Amino acid sequence: MPIWGMVLGGYPRSRYVRHTLRDEERGEVRVGEPVKAVMLGASTVIGAQVSAGLRFISDGMLDWHDIFRPFAEAWRNVAVDGLLRYFDNNFFYRIPVFLDEPEPTRPVLSPRVRLFKELVEPGDLKVVVPGPVTFARLSDNKSGMDIYELAERIAFALEVEVREAVNAGARVVQVDEPFLADVDATRDDAVLAAELAGRFSKLGATTILGVYFNMPEPSVYEAMLDAKVDYLAVDVIDAPERASRVISSKGYGGHKPVLGLIDARRVMDDRLDYIADVASKLALDAEEVGITTSAWLDLIPYRYSLRKTILVGRAVELVAERMGQPVISHWG
Amino acid sequence: MMSYTVPRKFPTTVVGSYPKLPPSMDAIKRRRKGEIGEEEFHRIVREAIRKVVDDHLWAGVDIISDGEQAREDMVVYFAERMKGYREGEWVRVFDNVYFRKPIIVGRVEWVSPMTLEDWRYAVSISQGRPVKGIITGPYTMMEWSFDLHYGDRRELIIDMARVIRREVEELVANGARYIQVDEPALSTRPWREEAELLGEALEVIFKGLEAKRIVHICYGRLEKILPYILDYPVDQLDLEMKNSNFRLLPYLKEYGFDKELGFGVVDVHSIQVESVEEIKGYIDKLMKMDFIPPEKVYVDPDCGLKRLPREIARSKLKNMVEAAKLAREEW
Repeated sequence: MPIWGMVLGGYPRSRYVRHTLRDEERGEVRVGEPVKAVMLGASTVIGAQVSAGLRFISDGMLDWHDIFRPFAEAWRNVAVDGLLRYFDNNFFYRIPVFLDEPEPTRPVLSPRVRLFKELVEPGDLKVVVPGPVTFARLSDNKSGMDIYELAERIAFALEVEVREAVNAGARVVQVDEPFLADVDATRDDAVLAAELAGRFSKLGATTILGVYFNMPEPSVYEAMLDAKVDYLAVDVIDAPERASRVISSKGYGGHKPVLGLIDARRVMDDRLDYIADVASKLALDAEEVGITTSAWLDLIPYRYSLRKTILVGRAVELVAERMGQPVISHWG
Repeated sequence: MMSYTVPRKFPTTVVGSYPKLPPSMDAIKRRRKGEIGEEEFHRIVREAIRKVVDDHLWAGVDIISDGEQAREDMVVYFAERMKGYREGEWVRVFDNVYFRKPIIVGRVEWVSPMTLEDWRYAVSISQGRPVKGIITGPYTMMEWSFDLHYGDRRELIIDMARVIRREVEELVANGARYIQVDEPALSTRPWREEAELLGEALEVIFKGLEAKRIVHICYGRLEKILPYILDYPVDQLDLEMKNSNFRLLPYLKEYGFDKELGFGVVDVHSIQVESVEEIKGYIDKLMKMDFIPPEKVYVDPDCGLKRLPREIARSKLKNMVEAAKLAREEW
């Protein structure tokens, strides 16, 4: 049962990136400066992940204002509107408004894959897409389609994105469905999310279904397990007891688990002994176990995000040592 | 001092915040740059409070506030004035807009009155109308801060509740008759254990308090935790209703609501001014459900008015007051 680590998704912006993007909005920046700032920022967070020995590497999505925005802006028939709270965070996303079936007009993921794929070596570059059900549920649906049909159409558009990203060199695709952990999520949502996530597994990359900000209700979790993906990433640390109960009773449905054990929304150092204990208990009889952050790291200050990245690497080493298992790392 | 009699039925009130007026925006900037101290800061803010109170009186609101003109942010304001915090680091709120989320680095402790001066000034010009003492609640302070000290949420929230209790005691000792604790963060985590955690903290804040005890909670899926909220040791639950199309009302009836209700009838997220007839219709809708008498209904906006243009906020309050007057005649 090898142990390995990754960060779940995006990173916060450094002061330089933040200020450069602000200056760009004010029209006070030279052409090319924002791209340079994002490249430099991405290099730093990629470096942090590679140095921590992590297996799947994210570029940090530093230029994304929220998880939906780049796609909403690149698709015909989708607009963005006012702000709405993003789950239980003190962070707000702009509501995508679907006026009709989304049609991709330009690629979002593949250009960044070409930019970053060499930087992540010897790790594997991971791209992240919003899950179709979360995308549909958190949008304003003026398309005339019902919510499930809209989710299907979003999945089609995302498939185009992911196919191009994989062709460009992405090795891992993570489909984020945090809505499944929401109190309003239903079993039907999970059934559809599982089916749609499975579509990405046919595109030639390793696939991860990510669910975070809470532990799904048992019936929702059970339905999620039908997803034909390689890995299932769940937020364990937000509600550890509830997560343990659900996982212990339902298992992982044959998936390889990625346990969200490093708290991505709090800045205090995680207690690695405790994490090792929880990981040992929740490993069950999995083929391998990933350790990750409980959510994206973009909701904490920049320097703490780098510290949490290091903590993921340390947690992997400690869990492997405690369990007497090898570590999967590009360090060999 | 002038006296004022709050109507027995459908008294009108505000949740607290009001659009930031130029004197307070200027004072907040200058204080942050270190150009002025706390005393000068509150002296300048008085100009803004006077305008807020003028607007409240013009609209005819019965129980008013100081408009929270000194508060740049509902958490940061208090974090900067209690012991145990250090200045926050930048985290994103939306797009490329960031704020300094405060960080708890030691045991939180009350140092000196944080809200008293502005409250007293508002009282001095309120023409006898009661002024609410309004404080950000312990759950919201905890959830919207980073913690580098406690590592135990229960321990943190109880200490935070003690700090707030001390502030509330100051207000009550100075004559505050209405004390409101704001807890917008609760509805973002609508689970039993979270609601019970806040319930425990509210016991610390309100136990034995000689004032009207109010907790304001807004947005989110409150129906999921309503049974636990109904047990809170408060006289009044002040709830957002209009924005969620009064979804909570059947639940309140079903659970046998027996407290006072702060009934949110004005959407603070919309610049469309609700007409008198519309607002009166909302009050009628509540009364026709026949589970609460008019003496227990406090008519107010869904939440603070700070995000609205001043003219819109004024108009909404005016129509709200007119609607309450009509409702008093009918119910």
